Amino acid sequence: MGHHIITEIESEKYEFTSKSRRIVGAVFVLGLILTILGIVQLRGGSADASHEADTAAVEQHDDHAMDAASHEEASDAHYADAADAAHAEGGHDAEGDHAAAAGHGHGSTWVTRLWANILMNSYYFMLFAIAAMFFIAVNYAANAGWSTLLKKVAEAITSYLPVAFITIAIVLFVGSGELYHWLDYFNGEKTPGTPEYDAIMESKAWFLNNGWFYVGVPVIMLIWILFRWKIKGLSRKEDQEGGTTYFLKSIRFSAGFIVFFAFSFSILSWLVLMSLDAHWFSTIYSVYNFAIAFVTGLTVICMFTIYLKSKGYMSAVSDEVIHDLGKFMFAFSIFWAYIWLAQFLLIWYANLPEEVVYYDARLTDTFKPLFRTNIIMCFFLPFLILMMRNAKRHPKVLMLAGAIILLGHWLDMYLMVMPGTVGESASIGLLEIGMTMTFAGFFIYWVLHNLSKDQLYPMNHPYLLESVNHDVGV
Amino acid sequence: MLDKKLILGVFDDGDKLLSAVTKLRQKGVEIMDCFTPYPVHNLDRAMGIKRTNLTVGAFLCGLTGFLSGLLLQFYMMTNHLNTFKSWPMIIGGKPQNYGMVPSMVPVTFELTILFTAFGIGILFFYRAKMIHGKIAQVLDLRQTDDLLLVAIEQDHLHMDRSELDGILKSNGAIEIRERNLEGTSNAKNS
Repeated sequence: MGHHIITEIESEKYEFTSKSRRIVGAVFVLGLILTILGIVQLRGGSADASHEADTAAVEQHDDHAMDAASHEEASDAHYADAADAAHAEGGHDAEGDHAAAAGHGHGSTWVTRLWANILMNSYYFMLFAIAAMFFIAVNYAANAGWSTLLKKVAEAITSYLPVAFITIAIVLFVGSGELYHWLDYFNGEKTPGTPEYDAIMESKAWFLNNGWFYVGVPVIMLIWILFRWKIKGLSRKEDQEGGTTYFLKSIRFSAGFIVFFAFSFSILSWLVLMSLDAHWFSTIYSVYNFAIAFVTGLTVICMFTIYLKSKGYMSAVSDEVIHDLGKFMFAFSIFWAYIWLAQFLLIWYANLPEEVVYYDARLTDTFKPLFRTNIIMCFFLPFLILMMRNAKRHPKVLMLAGAIILLGHWLDMYLMVMPGTVGESASIGLLEIGMTMTFAGFFIYWVLHNLSKDQLYPMNHPYLLESVNHDVGV
Repeated sequence: MLDKKLILGVFDDGDKLLSAVTKLRQKGVEIMDCFTPYPVHNLDRAMGIKRTNLTVGAFLCGLTGFLSGLLLQFYMMTNHLNTFKSWPMIIGGKPQNYGMVPSMVPVTFELTILFTAFGIGILFFYRAKMIHGKIAQVLDLRQTDDLLLVAIEQDHLHMDRSELDGILKSNGAIEIRERNLEGTSNAKNS
């Protein structure tokens, strides 16, 4: 045969050297230091800031008694305006919302901002893990051969899932009071006819309630972890015993996971993120979240693989496989843009007050530059950079595009979380950078640590050699 | 066009053809083309075919479509190009300035796709010389059935003819023929 066909590969094992451990650890520690500095800085400045917000809010709604004005209420004012316009009796709704927000009175904005940051990063890094899980499952279900060499990398990334469970659980059980104003509403006193009564919120009570929130979300994540544990277990047994039994079983579990994932991920995204803007809804929101998850998950898999290759590991992963990953990143950047537009364009065009609140809060002076940067970083730059064939086969260009995609979607998360929680006073400061570095440091350390515990290739996987000899043609 | 004198190696198996092509390329023989009734993996690479630059054409077509889409809408929907003679067209309550850009996305997208699809189709047919009404020059009718051909131009062959035959035969050629490229259509049934 003309083309050299590889019929055997050596097993490899990644060694997480103490030097790498120190570097990644340093990122984590530096992140923690920056976070603490950010908090100190915010606490110092919070007295002035809340005074400013107070003035601004009173100017907007001077008929409202704003005893404990916080920045969060500045954003609530947006809901209030929208609700006013949407419903004839909306004045009551808006006031009710206001009263609910003002009622429990958390004057300290830095706490809200801290929790918003924790939520944002918990969710963002959870997306990597669950997308890697989806990547494994979808490749099993589709009987895909090209990606087999990447399976262990993806598995290592899914090992972050339990950590994501813990961080999200912390946000739900400790910090949710600072973030989800609907929790305050439903747990407060309200009777029909009073100003506190909010018709929009009442219509959502069957879903936005403590049961779904405090039980639903953890249960969903626990089932994901169970699926992950099962598929990982099958993979381990396959490594030990070989044969196709475990492969065929994995296909069945993967198909089951995909079905469960479709529903559960939607519910999770509604509860954890969409309910931050509780008056608003979007039917494509979960697809949008999935788009973010998959494109960032693929990028993370790609970047880890390129990193390992640069360290001399995973030599069996040819340019062809990397090329296909690059195509995936390219394609799902476009998919993200498609879903982004599908959500934005309809709301923008229809201009219905109860829908447009969401973008109204994101097209203010504070968020508009970020809003535009987000589209450029998540779509235009990856699209133009990854369009060329050679770019997708060049590790450095892929790393650059990957970094742009990850930062862009970080901004995406920022824009989903911040306007509904911190509001107009949000900015990207030490706290944001520090918190992200903390999570990133921990994530990288955790993934590389788990990667070093196992071999790098699934040696008994039936499609291993197909992946090694994968060829995309000239 | 001058007649091209071709040497055809006829094979009955893709792997044999692939190994013959690889051997010939190692010896420095220039392969004019291969004709196979089904795709043979890696044959393109073994033949040393350069990657097509049709993709650049696709990009340029797409860019043309993208710009045409934007121009079309700025021309028709806004006054940025001083095109409003009587009154502005206010459709759907859109703003009349750059704020209407989101509404331009679908049309721009569609025109990009349209220009790319048609442009790349036309370019492909042009490059492959597949013009409607042209009679296909089938070198050997069996190439459309169950046999595979490798065609080598005699003028470009810097090798002893017997050596070439030897390589072809040793790799499993069932037949070696000679043929002129022009006029093959007259002898379709050979």
